[in-house]
Order: sequence, then structure tokens, then C-alpha cells
Amino acid sequence: MLILTSWLKEFVSFDVPVDTLAEDLTLAGLEVEGVESAYKGLEPVVVAKVLEVRPHPNASFLKICTLDAGSDSRVEVVCGAPNMIKGQLVALARPGTVLPDGTRVQVAKIHGVESPGMLCSQAELGLGEDRAGIMILDASKGARPGESIVEALELDDWILEIGITPNRPDCLSVIGIAREVAAIYGLPMISLPRAGIAPEEYSAPKEDVPISIEAPDLCRRYAAGIVRDVDIAPSPVWLARRLLASGIRPINNVVDVTNYVLLERGQPLHAFDLDRLDGPELNVRLARSGEEIVTLDGKLRGLSPEILVIADRDRPVAVAGVMGGANSEVTGRTRNILLESAWFFPGQVRRAAKILKAPTEASYRFERGVDPEGVLVALHRALDLLDRIAGGRRDEVKDLYVKPFDSVYIELRPEKVNRLLGTRIEPDEMVSILSRIGMDVREDDSASLRAKAPSYRLDLKEEIDLVEEVARLHGFSRIPSRSPEARLISMPSEPEKVFADRIKGILACQGLDEIISYSFVSPEEIEALRFEEKDPRSRWVKIKNPLSEDQSVLRTSLLSSLLGAVSRNLARRNLDLRLFELGTCFLEQGKEKQPVEEQRVAGIWTGSRYPESWAWPGQPADFFDLKGVVEALLMRLGVDSFRFRPGTPDDPFYVPGAGVSILSQDGATIGTMGQVLPETLSRWDIDTPVFAFDLALKGLMDISCDTVRFKPLAKFPSIGIDNAIIVSDSVYYQEIFEFIRSNGHEFLESVNVFDVYSGKPIPENFKSLGIRFVYRAPDHTLSDKEVAEIHNPLLRKVLESFHGELRALKNDGIDLNQEGNRRENKPGTWIFGEDEPKIS
Amino acid sequence: MLEHLEKIRSQALRAIEKSGSEDLEAIRIKVLGRKGELTSILKSIGSLPAKERPRFGQLANKFKKEIEAALERRKAQLESGGQVQQIRGLDPTLPGRRCHVGRLHPVSLMMGEVCSVFERMGFSVVQGPEVELDFYNFEALNIPPDHPARDMQDTFYVDDKVLLRTHTSPIQVRTMEKISPPLRIIAPGKVYRCDSDVTHTPMFHQVEGLMVDRLVSFADLKGILTYFVQEIFDKDTAVRFRPSFFPFTEPSAEVDIQCVMCRGKGCRVCSHTGWLEVLGAGLVHPAVFRYVGYDPEQYSGFAFGLGIERITMLRYGVDDIRLFYDNDLRFLEQF
Repeated sequence: MLILTSWLKEFVSFDVPVDTLAEDLTLAGLEVEGVESAYKGLEPVVVAKVLEVRPHPNASFLKICTLDAGSDSRVEVVCGAPNMIKGQLVALARPGTVLPDGTRVQVAKIHGVESPGMLCSQAELGLGEDRAGIMILDASKGARPGESIVEALELDDWILEIGITPNRPDCLSVIGIAREVAAIYGLPMISLPRAGIAPEEYSAPKEDVPISIEAPDLCRRYAAGIVRDVDIAPSPVWLARRLLASGIRPINNVVDVTNYVLLERGQPLHAFDLDRLDGPELNVRLARSGEEIVTLDGKLRGLSPEILVIADRDRPVAVAGVMGGANSEVTGRTRNILLESAWFFPGQVRRAAKILKAPTEASYRFERGVDPEGVLVALHRALDLLDRIAGGRRDEVKDLYVKPFDSVYIELRPEKVNRLLGTRIEPDEMVSILSRIGMDVREDDSASLRAKAPSYRLDLKEEIDLVEEVARLHGFSRIPSRSPEARLISMPSEPEKVFADRIKGILACQGLDEIISYSFVSPEEIEALRFEEKDPRSRWVKIKNPLSEDQSVLRTSLLSSLLGAVSRNLARRNLDLRLFELGTCFLEQGKEKQPVEEQRVAGIWTGSRYPESWAWPGQPADFFDLKGVVEALLMRLGVDSFRFRPGTPDDPFYVPGAGVSILSQDGATIGTMGQVLPETLSRWDIDTPVFAFDLALKGLMDISCDTVRFKPLAKFPSIGIDNAIIVSDSVYYQEIFEFIRSNGHEFLESVNVFDVYSGKPIPENFKSLGIRFVYRAPDHTLSDKEVAEIHNPLLRKVLESFHGELRALKNDGIDLNQEGNRRENKPGTWIFGEDEPKIS
Repeated sequence: MLEHLEKIRSQALRAIEKSGSEDLEAIRIKVLGRKGELTSILKSIGSLPAKERPRFGQLANKFKKEIEAALERRKAQLESGGQVQQIRGLDPTLPGRRCHVGRLHPVSLMMGEVCSVFERMGFSVVQGPEVELDFYNFEALNIPPDHPARDMQDTFYVDDKVLLRTHTSPIQVRTMEKISPPLRIIAPGKVYRCDSDVTHTPMFHQVEGLMVDRLVSFADLKGILTYFVQEIFDKDTAVRFRPSFFPFTEPSAEVDIQCVMCRGKGCRVCSHTGWLEVLGAGLVHPAVFRYVGYDPEQYSGFAFGLGIERITMLRYGVDDIRLFYDNDLRFLEQF
């Protein structure tokens, strides 16, 4: 809301600099968002001295004047004003200046003579009503040529831009702000000279215009005044200037008066052309299905019975509280007008403005609540103004007040105020504050006050509302700041949040960067992930009012978000990406139901394996780089047993054979990982391999374990044995590993694959797996013979079960086990003795 | 004999270390020359019992080599003007074999910091759904349908009853429905509003806090939030509370901090006011307590909320909020 300080001063006489006023209003809850000089546009207009006046060579009614515009600059401009004399001080607008009425001054060629600027009249500068001649400045005030007229005339008026919170509709007006200023500084309000005219001064009504309210619940009060024989004309400059400064374009005196009163009093008014009303009569009623209206903005709008209208005998002529109709609009030809001032139900106006998508200055105020007692005052104020600027004769004013306003006394306990605020405010101060905002305060006893709110403060309904008034006018800054005294509360933080933070930390340690993406994606991005129809992720939650189609549905998988980030980064030549996101996926559950929200964590790896460096080989990342990340994550989370199921993973967006499901010990899928399908990648224009994983937080949390059981450190050395086993390349290592784990002796401490090889001399379609077995007994040093006795049968079983053969190892192998590193071990050869299996 | 040998070695090495280039030859002659100390002792080896001779000989030879090497090193060192020597093929100034270090998103970092400040004061973290019912997002927070306060937050709707939460305040209600006072919680999370420009994204993060107990006052709210601001920014950051409006708190306040860019002098970031709005807060409205069945005569409380992106931008000097969700590696790797 834009407020002119000079206008404010008509209602309250304050004397503080504008910056102080702005700060004091802000600290009372009326946030001043900007302060601007009301004469900012006039700053480039300078004082100039007329040095010479000579006739225009080509036009007898024009003159050419030579001016001193300061800084020794001589300017010659063409001017038609009659009142110019050598030696006068005048106001010169140079090219580029924008005058208050919107005119941009340009270099003009007038009857063949170029004029670099113009001399302005009072009216053109918005400083007075005189349009006939140019403005002559008083030389005795010491104005110097070249000086801005804002300084020369000491123009002091400011526009405050104030943000009004929805609870304070009373402040959507000059008078409302003035009341606040009066309350802040403890000043009286200045009442305007008599609003309205005594009944005997009205001219006798020529004919009656019947008005009826068919929907009294929605229209509490409807007042109307008729003025006949008005002169439609432009408004006087003072009025137009105030409208412009408040952000409203002047139209004609009648319309401008309605807007003026709207700004001054916060009461929206509407003027009808009386002669265009059928009847004439007015009806406040709900629209009938099928009715339409062309509103003042020229749009044809269909109406429905949810919308309240003002109708004449048979058609709507205005949408109540929102906008008038073109069919009864005041125009240049209008002679007689009917001025409406009413109180419409806020929710009703809000709904209508929403349905019609036509929020207006009027609807904005009605839907927040206007002063029901101000309806008639505003109407009289408008009629008085019309009297002054549009002439005409008034008929009697009608006022249908079907539901009078009634306000009640609200109890306020000073002790409660101080308890809630943590203050020691005296009850006297509370009484003073409440009185200053216009409340009628009664003191029952020292423990309790009762106060009645004025009709414009519809927001004051219960005790807490008064507590707020006391707090804000006492001053928030005067409320102490202290550390609360509180009872200890033992309540753990949300386990899922704690768990999520752990995962983020682990993944960052693994070298993945965290991203955060919008939860909304385009439907087509979900489709690109190729979920089957029975997969709940193939159905999405659709947003009714999305910002764009690209952000119109909620994601059902994090992969689309990650691929979006990959795509954008690749386009910017950020080629090596290791990213993860932890966030919510939404699974649709049907209409008017909340979706299931699933927390998931997903990551991708694309580009090189190592950072670019002299010290690392330049290798592309592969499946196992990302698998290592996943395994490390699971191990760090204390998931003690998990496995990967190859074949057909539970997610359809992996390259067949290069995707796996990640299973918990009991076989439940907790996630997937693999190489993303090129067909999926192409949706995001990615043509480089991308490896991805996706895990459900809930599933992970169920099987993770953060309790640690210490195992005593081994006292005796271990023996490591390396075997190379040749098996068909269709055999999965995981099967062999699990077979060994379940068939191994209790002394078998660990099993690890240290080499995978295919190619010569290994036969085609076979691979060689180099496997290290480490044995250790808890209570003695194992002898070679002892190990041979338990290892050889195991190895035989492995070979039998997987149709494998043993391959001779050329190297000695290096025992990774530090404390059990027995150099004399010759793994792979000596251990079998005479019972040696066949070596290929 | 052994002791003597050891003494010769240590004296020689010390002398070499301190020597100038003119002394080196003298030291060599003194120790290793034909009549040098070490040479002499080697010559006298025959006087030892036969059993000890090999061991002694080995040791003496080892020392001899050591002294020779020390002489060489010192010579080279002196010739190079006292410079530290290089080993051929080793350039220790090459960058180390760095692994990639992952980073958390700046919003995550700030969220963690904010939560930890409150957790230190005994607030517990709670979470709630991002897709909410109109009831929890608005009605239970004293914002009935057709209330103009709904305009304060541009809402994404799924249908008439379901929407994307516009703040994390519904979590307050959901928590109060389940737990009786005393209560101290913070609710971090994503929130959604249909708005998009340099300072607004349609999704952003909020942390909301709530404290309910007997005798919780506005003064307590000021104390807690002042402490919070000074923990997150500077110890001497000025904080200003000014009246505002939220339907679910009363009295309500906007909390401004002294501009962290210009220290309150006025700059572009604070629109030349010297202040930055960072938090909304207030005492919980009795209507909200009535919704969840708390007795407003018995209990009072305060609630507050802040946008994480806003303070992250202030902390790191990020000037475009959209960068947070673009996820450009060059952005992510700065935190």
C-alpha cells in the first residue's frame, strides 16, 4: 500500500522526519518496505532564468526564449505561454524528464524551430491547478538557475510503501495508517470538516430507485446516493496527483472520487450510470446459472450461483465487491449517477474474485473486511467531494443496514499479559495503549480489564488479540530477552533423520557429492525409467497447479533427479560425476489421500575412476567402482549380511545382465544397482555409461545394526592358501563364496578373491578365480598338516560342485594377513601331498 | 676395542657434520688414512680372540663405509652451497595422490548446523509428510478456507484436500496431537510454494521450532532466537523483533538480524535498511492449542520458522537461490 505523507497529515499532525516515521511504523507492525520522495520525478526539472524573449519566426502565437539554466548553459526553447517576461524564474524540463502525468519530454521541432526542453505549468508539474501559463517561481526565495525545483521550492512529500498483513484491513487506507500514527505517538486524530449534509439540504427525490437485498447474510449493509446532472470532467490536479502517487491512474472526476475515497477510507465504492440501469432498480442477489456480465476490464464472464451480484431489473450490473459491469459504466456522456457503498461478506467476495480470477483493489479490501460503520461515512465523503468537483444535485441517500455491527467487551487480565510476555507492564499503560487504538476500556478491578474494539478493528476478538496490541505498542524491543527455565525433556530425535544423516556422511566419505533436486519432475521423466504397469512407481501424484509441465508430477524414483543433474553437468563439461541424493519418493494412493512417502538414497557414477592426476591411471569407472561404494555403505551401516542377486533386477532401467538386486539376509530386496540402460539415458541426452544404485531407507534401517560386539584379537598366527580355480564363466563367484562359507571349517577365517582371469591359457568360456583362504585356530598355532586336512576336502568339494579345475599358481602369493604372515608357506602347491588333486 | 671403534665412528660423523670444505680431507686422513684411526684399529684386529674377529671386522668395515658415505654427502652438500639434496627421480613437489572427497550439499550443511544449535538446547528433531492434508497445513493452524492469510503462501494443490505443505508447521500440530507438554521440537524439511525467481524457488527448506510448557513467554522466545542467531552468525550480531502476523501465533514477530554483509550500514543485500529478515516467530495462538487439546490457560508456548536457503545464502555469499537446485558440480564442490 502506497501512502502519501502529506495526505496522512490531513488526519494526524505529526512532526517527525520521514525516516523516523518509517521506522516507528515498522516497529509497530506496519512494515515500511520503501520510502521515496513524491517528487522524485521532478528532480530533473530545474530553475531557469528568462534572459530574452523573442517571437517565433513561423508562428505568431509562439515565442522563443533564451534561458540561463545554470552552470553557464544557455538554452533556447519554444514556448506558447502568454505570461513570460525577461528576468523571471521558470521551471525547465529537459529532454528525458517524465512529468507526473506520464508525459516524456523530448526534443521537439515546433514550426521549424528545435526546442530542447519545455517550460512547465503548475498543472504539468502536479503542483497546482493553473494550466494557462507557465509556472513563475518566486525570485525572493533565493532560487538559483540550474537548481532542481524540488530543492528550490522545498517540496517535501513522501510516498511510503507499507506492507499490510492480512489481519489489518483497517490499515489499507490513509485514515487507517493515520490512526496507527496517532496511536504510536499518542496524538489526536483530526476530524475532517462535516461529512454529509443534513437531510433538509437534499433536493427532493424525483423518482424512487428501489433497492433490495435478497442475500442479507452476504450483504450486511448497502448504501446508495444519487447525484443528477454531474459534469464528467478530468479531476483537479491535487486529486489526480494523490491517485497517481498511490498507484492509481486517474480516469474522470466521478471514478476518481470513488478511488480517492477507497484510498482515504478503505471503503470501496462503485458508481453506476443511473440512466443505464433498467428500472431503475437494484437487487443484491446471487447470480443465476447462465447469467453473464462484461466487466469493466472488457472481459465477458460467466456467472454462477456462488457469485453475488448487483442486478438491475433483469441483469447483473456488477459483481458484488469485485468489479462493475460495462453495461452500467460511467462514461463521458453520463449525466446521472448512483454511488454504491456496501459491506459484503469477506469469504463471499474472496470466492467470487477467485472464481473469476479477477482480484481488484475493492475485492482485496472486502475479503479482508471493511469497517461496517464506515460505509455511510465514506458515501457522504464521496458525495461531498463530487459536490466540489463534479457539481450536480443530490437525491436522498439510502442506507439498508440489515445486520448492524455489534462488538463485545473482551476481558484482559494484566497478570496474563505479563506472564505471556515476560514483562512487568503496569495496568495503566495497558489501558492507555488500548485507548489509543480506539478501544473503549473499562477497569473492573486491578485483576481484569474489559475493552471494546472499534468497528474498524474486526481482528480484535479475544484476549490474546489485546495482548498483541499491548506488546506491539509497548514495543517488542522493551520486552526483555531471557533464557527460558524449562524442565528436562528426554525425547530422541527422529531415528530416520539420524539414520539419513549417517548415510550422507558415509557416502560423502566415499567420494560422492550430495545433490538436492526438486521433488517434481515431468511425467515423461518417470516414463523414461520404464516401470511396469503393476509397479506402484509407474503412477504419479499430479499437481493441480504446476509452474510448468516439467514440474507437474511428484517423483517416484530418485534416478530421474540424478540423471537430470548428470545431464546438466555433462552439458557444462563436468564429466566426472559421483553424485548421490537422499530424499522422498511419492507413491500415489488415490484421490484425496496422501501418497506414501518413501525415503530413498540413490547415487550415480560416471566418467573416470580416479581424479585426473599424474599419479593415477586414466581409467573409466565401471560397475565395480560403484558396487564398492554400495558395499562399503552397507558394511558401515552394520548390515552384517547382504547379497546381490544377478539376472533380472527389480528395477527395469538397467542393462540386462549388468543390474543386480541387493538383498538382505532374509531375501528381501533393499535396493538395486547396475549400469543404466542407454534407452533411459537418451531421455536426458546422456551418451556415456552411467552406473547407479538405489536403496530404500526403511529397508536399510530395519537390517542395519549399530551395536558393536568386540572380538578378542587373535593370539596365534594364521595360514593363508591361494588357489586358482577354473570354472565356467557362467558361474557366479558369489555362489562359490557362499558355498565355501557354509562348508568351510570353523578355522576358516576369511575367503577373498584376489584375481579373476580369462584368456589364454584358460579355455574359452572359462575363467580362473584366484581365491585366498585364511585359516586360524583360536587356541594354537596351526600346523601345515592340520590345515591340509581341513582345506583339501573343502577344495575338492568346491571343484566337484562347480565342475572346476585347479590351476597352478606361478606366484607365491602374498599373505595379506599381517600378523600371520608365514613366509615359508608355499600356497597352492605343497599342501596337497600325496592326496593332491589334479592340476591342470 | 668395540667401545673404541664406536667412539671413532661417532667422533668422525660429528666432525664431518660440522666441517667446512677445507676440513674434509683432513678428517679423511685422520680417520681413514694409512695411519688413520680406523685403519689402525683394523690393523690391530689380529690381537683379538679368533672367535670375535669376524664380527669386529664386519662392524669396522660397516663403519668405514658409513664414514666414507658421510664424507661424500658432506662434500656434495658443501659444493651445492648448503642446499638440500635431491634424489634422482623423486620430485616431492608433485601433487599427492589425492582421492576424490565428497561434499554434502550446502543446504544439508546448514540444516545440520541449525538443528545442532537447537539440539544442544534440548530440542528434538521430528519429521512429517511433505504432501499434507489441507487440515494440517491450514485449518488446524487457524487458517480456515477462504481466509486471506492463505494468500501469504502460494500453494501447490494435488486436489481439494491434499496439497504440498507450504511450511513445516503441520508437524507441530501432528506432534502436539501425540505428545503432551512439556515439548521442545524442531521440524526440518522441504516445503513448497508456487513461486520462482532469483530469490524464490518452488521448493525450499525450513526449520520450525516449537516449545510448550507452563510459563513460556515472549521473553523466552527472544532469548532463544537471539542465542540461535548469534550461534549461526556472529556473537555480536544485533537482532530485532518487530510485530507481524501469522494466523497460528499471537503476538507474532518477524525477526531481523543486522545485515551480515554491511554490518548494518546499509547495502544492496539488505536494501539499504541495515536489517535482514530471517525468521518468523510468535507465541502459539490459543486456537491452535484448542485444536490439539492443550489447555491455553495452563500452557503457553512459542513457535518459530526459518528458511534454510536464506541463511545459507547469507553465510556463504550465494547470490542466486536457484543454484542450490541446479546441482552444478562447480557449485557443489565449493562447500
